[in-house]
Amino acid sequence: MTAAVLLLAAAVQAAPVSAPAIPDNPAKLVFKPLAYTPPRAADHRVVLKNGMVVFIAEDPTLPLVEIAVTVRTGSYLDPAGHEALAALTGSLLRNGGTRTLTAEQLDERLDYLAARVETSIGETAGTATLNCLAENLDDSLKLFVEMLKEPRFQEDRLALAREQALQEMSRRNDDPEDIERREWNVLLYGEGRASNRFTTEASVRSVSRADLVAFHDRYFHPAGMIAAVSGAFSRPEMIRKLEAAFAGWPGARPEVPPVPSEVSPAAPGLYRIEKQVPQGRVSIGLPAVKRDSPDIYALEVMNEILGGSGFVSRITRTVRSNEGLAYSAGSALRFGIYYPGAFRALFQSKSRTVAWAAQLVMDEIKKMREEPVTAEELDTIERSLIETFPGNFESKAKTVALFAADEYTGRDPSFWATYRDRIQAVTAADVQRVARQYVPPEKLLVLVVGDQKEIDVGDGKHAVALAALAPGGHVVTLPLRDPMTMKLP
Amino acid sequence: MRVLRAIVALVFVAAAAAPRPRIEVTEVTLGNGMRWLLFPRHDAPTVSAGWVAHVGSVNEREGITGISHLFEHMMFKGTRTIGTRDIAADLRIIEEQEKVRELMRSELKVMRERLRRGEIDDLLKPENQTARYRELETQFDDLVAKQRDVIVKDQLDQIYTRNGGEELNAFTTEDFTAYFVRLPSNRLELWAWLESDRLINPVFREFYSERDVVFEERRMRTESTPLGKFDEAFNALFWEAHPYKWPVVGWPSDIPAITKVQADEYFGTYYAPNNLTGILVGDFDPALARPLIERYFGRIPRGAKEPPEVVTFEPAQLGEKRFNAEAETSPTVRVWWHAVPFVHRDRTPLDLLSDLLTGRTGRLYKSLVLGRPIANEVEASVDLKKYAGAFQVEAVVKEGKDPAAVEAAIHEEIRRLQDEPVPAEEMQKVKNQGKAQAFRRLSSPFSILIQLLYYDGLGDWKYINSYADEVDATTAADIQRVARAYLTKENRTVGVFLRKEAAPAPPPAPPAPPGDGTR
Repeated sequence: MTAAVLLLAAAVQAAPVSAPAIPDNPAKLVFKPLAYTPPRAADHRVVLKNGMVVFIAEDPTLPLVEIAVTVRTGSYLDPAGHEALAALTGSLLRNGGTRTLTAEQLDERLDYLAARVETSIGETAGTATLNCLAENLDDSLKLFVEMLKEPRFQEDRLALAREQALQEMSRRNDDPEDIERREWNVLLYGEGRASNRFTTEASVRSVSRADLVAFHDRYFHPAGMIAAVSGAFSRPEMIRKLEAAFAGWPGARPEVPPVPSEVSPAAPGLYRIEKQVPQGRVSIGLPAVKRDSPDIYALEVMNEILGGSGFVSRITRTVRSNEGLAYSAGSALRFGIYYPGAFRALFQSKSRTVAWAAQLVMDEIKKMREEPVTAEELDTIERSLIETFPGNFESKAKTVALFAADEYTGRDPSFWATYRDRIQAVTAADVQRVARQYVPPEKLLVLVVGDQKEIDVGDGKHAVALAALAPGGHVVTLPLRDPMTMKLP
Repeated sequence: MRVLRAIVALVFVAAAAAPRPRIEVTEVTLGNGMRWLLFPRHDAPTVSAGWVAHVGSVNEREGITGISHLFEHMMFKGTRTIGTRDIAADLRIIEEQEKVRELMRSELKVMRERLRRGEIDDLLKPENQTARYRELETQFDDLVAKQRDVIVKDQLDQIYTRNGGEELNAFTTEDFTAYFVRLPSNRLELWAWLESDRLINPVFREFYSERDVVFEERRMRTESTPLGKFDEAFNALFWEAHPYKWPVVGWPSDIPAITKVQADEYFGTYYAPNNLTGILVGDFDPALARPLIERYFGRIPRGAKEPPEVVTFEPAQLGEKRFNAEAETSPTVRVWWHAVPFVHRDRTPLDLLSDLLTGRTGRLYKSLVLGRPIANEVEASVDLKKYAGAFQVEAVVKEGKDPAAVEAAIHEEIRRLQDEPVPAEEMQKVKNQGKAQAFRRLSSPFSILIQLLYYDGLGDWKYINSYADEVDATTAADIQRVARAYLTKENRTVGVFLRKEAAPAPPPAPPAPPGDGTR
C-alpha cells in the first residue's frame, strides 16, 4: 500500500558560513521591501452571450475546478406569510432532483463523481457552488446546470426539508448564543426588516412545491447570475464550455425589486433576557453606515483600535488580558451594502462579573471619543491593514469570488486600488471624529442574555449595577419568544 | 552540533496517470532534535509558519487537567525581552506574587475541606472564601497593578500585527499543541526571532488572570452550550483507563488549582526542541530558510531527558455502556465504539467505513432519514487520536419518533456491513470522494500548514501523501473485517439525550437491539 512512496534518506552538511549574529531585539531586524499590486477585476471579467457575467482565473495548482454562481434573489422577496420560501427553494434546488433525474439519482451521480454541489438562498443573494475534479468537469457541469435550470423540487424532499426546518426551529432558545444573535438583530433593525422576518411553523408549512417552482421561474436566469470560476482549465476552453452549458435558457432577464433600505432600530437602552447559564452574553452597539460612506476608512481604523484587532485592541486588553473577565471580548464593525451596517462590542463573562466588564467596555468607548488615539496605536493598525492587504487575493478562487461579489453589489471598482492609500491617510483626529459621530453612548443598545438574578449580585468588589449602565436610563426585560411562532408571550 | 541531518521525502513514482494528492515536503532534523517540515509554494507573497509541541491533555494527570491548554495561553505572555520594560523588576514582582499565592493556596486547602464537609457550595464564590484569602487576594491584586508599570501588554501580538501577521493563534488537543501565524514573506526572520525567543526565554507573567480567562473559555464552550457538559460526561464514560477521559480544557476543580511552578516544570519537560516540529509553508526559499532555522532554533538546548511515554492502553471493554440524559436539545442518539490509534493500519478502512455510512448517499442517511424515516440528521465519523481512537455515529431523532427505533436502525445498518460485502460501485464512490477531498484540503498554504501541524501532531504527517494509496488498497473485504472487529456490542457506549422540560418523561427503556447489533 505504500509501494508508491520512496523515501530517500541523505545526510546533508549545512554550510555555517559566518552567519550573521542574532540581534538582541527584533526591532533591529531589517526586511527587504515587498511591493504588491492587486489583480484587476477587468482582467478576469467575461460576459457570456446570454448576459451572464463571469470572473475567471486559471489555477493549475490542484486538479480541481470551482464554479460559484451568485443569483440575484433573496429571502427579502418572500411574500408575507411565506417566510421560508426563498430558503426552501435554495435547499430544494440541490436536494430535490432535476427534470431527468430523481433526487436520489442526482445525489448518487454527484457523489460518484465526487463533485461537491451546494445551493442556498440568503437574505440578499442566492448561491450555487460546484467543486469537482477537473477530469470530471464535463459530467459535473452538465448536472450542475441542469439542476439550476430544471430543478425537480421532489415532493418528499420538500416534506423532509420542512421537518428539518421545524426541528431546527424548536432549538431556537437552547443556545444562549442563538438567542443573543437573533435579538441583537431585532434591536438593531426592527422586526419588520427583511433579515428579521422570521420563519415560523405556519410559514414553513405554507410553502408548497408550486411556490418553489414559481419562485425559481421568476428569479433564476443566466442574465441574473454572476459566476466566479477558477481551477485547472484553459480560459478559452472554459468560456466555450460555459457558453454551451448555459445556452438556450428560456425566459428573459428577471426583474428583481431592490433590497429595501429602511431600518427601525429599538430605542437606546438596556435589554435583558433571562437564560439559566453560568455566563452572561453582552452586546453593546448600534447601526452604523453603509459602505459608500467616505468615513469607512476612519471607522475601520477606529474599530480596530477599540476592539477589532484582538490583543492589540483596547477592549480585549482591558477585559480579557488585564482583568481576566472573558475569553472572548472585542468589537466588530460591519459596513452595510443596502442598509446601514452596525458597530457591536461583545463579550461573555461569568454572571457576577458581567456588570463590571460592561462598565469597562463603556469606559473604553467613551475614551475613544474623549482622547485621540496614540501615534503608536494608529501606526500599528494602519501598518497591519496595509501589510495584510494581499491576503484578500491569496488564492485564485478567493480573488474571483471577491470580484463577483463586487459586481453583484456594485462596489466602486477603484476600491481595491486606492484602499491602502486611504487607510494610510487616516489621522488620530479622524478616528476621534468618527468615534464621536457614530458611537454616542446615549444612543447605544445594550443586550444582556443570562442569569439576571446572579448578574445583579455583582462581583462584590466593584460598585457597579448593570441597570446604571442603561443608555437613557431605559431598561427593558424581554421575554423569550415562542420558538415556533416567534411571538412574545 | 551545527550539522543538519536531512531526510528528503518526495520522489513519488507516478503509478497511474491520474494526479494524486501529495505535497513535496523536505524534512530536516537539527542537532538538538528539533524536526522541521518545509514546503515552498508561491501562491501569494506570504509564509504560513508554525510549530507543534508533542504534548496535550493525554500527558496530564488528575489534579492538573487543563495544564497543556493553559500553557498554550501562557506562551503568548512574553519573554525576558518581549513584554517587559524592566525584566529584573518584572521577575522580582512575579516572585513576590508567587509568595502571596503560596499563602492563598493554604487558605484554599481550608476552603476545600469546608466544601467536602458540605459547609460551602462553590470555591469560586467570594462569600465562600475565607477572610484571609480575600485579604491575600487584595495584596495580590496590588502586585498585579504594580507589575503593569513594567510590562508591555501583549507585545508579541503588537509586533506581529505591525508586521502584517494574521491568524496568530494556537490550539491544544489531547495529543499536541500547535502555534501558527501567516506573515508577509519578507518577515520570515522576524518569525524565527520571536518563536525561538519564546522557546528559550519564556516568562509566564500574568499567570493567574490568564487562568481566569481559561475558566471563562470553559464556561463559554462547555458550561453554557446545550450539550457541552453532556459531551464531556459521555467522553468520560467512554474512556476508562485512558487519559483521554478528561477534557482538554480541564475539570472545573483543577483549572483554578494549577500553579505556576507546575507550569514551569511542564515547560521544561515538554517544550524541549526534541519534542517539537517546526513547519513552514508558502513563499520562501528553502536554501535561505534552512540556515536561518539552524541559526535561530539550533541554539535551543536539547531537553535534559526525553519526555515520558504515554504507556496506558485502554483495556478491552467488557460490555455495552449507556448514558441516558435530558438536555436542552432535540432528541439525539449517539453511539461510540473503541477503534484504533491514528497510526494503525486499519485507519483508512475505518475512515472509508464511516464514509459509506455518512452523507447524502450514505447508508444511514438513506435508511434513517430518507427511507423509514425516523431521523432528521445522521452522521458517522472516525476520531482517531494518537494513542487510541473511536468510531462515532450520531442521529437527531425525528419529533415523535422513538429514539430506540433510531438506535436499532443504526445497529441494523452496521450489521449489514458486517454480513454482506459492499458492492464495487459503492466502494468506488467513497474512494472517489475521499481522493477529491484530499485535494481540497490542500487548497491554500495556510490550510496545508494546519494539515501538517495536525497530522504531525498525531504522529504521521506523511498520511497526507499516503492517503490516496491507502484508499486504493482498501477492499470490500477490509471494510467487512473492520466492521466485524470493532463495531461490536460489547465495544460500544450509547448515549440517548431527550429534551429536558417535556412533561413527565417515561423512564427511558433501554432499547434492546436484536442480536449483537453494533450500529
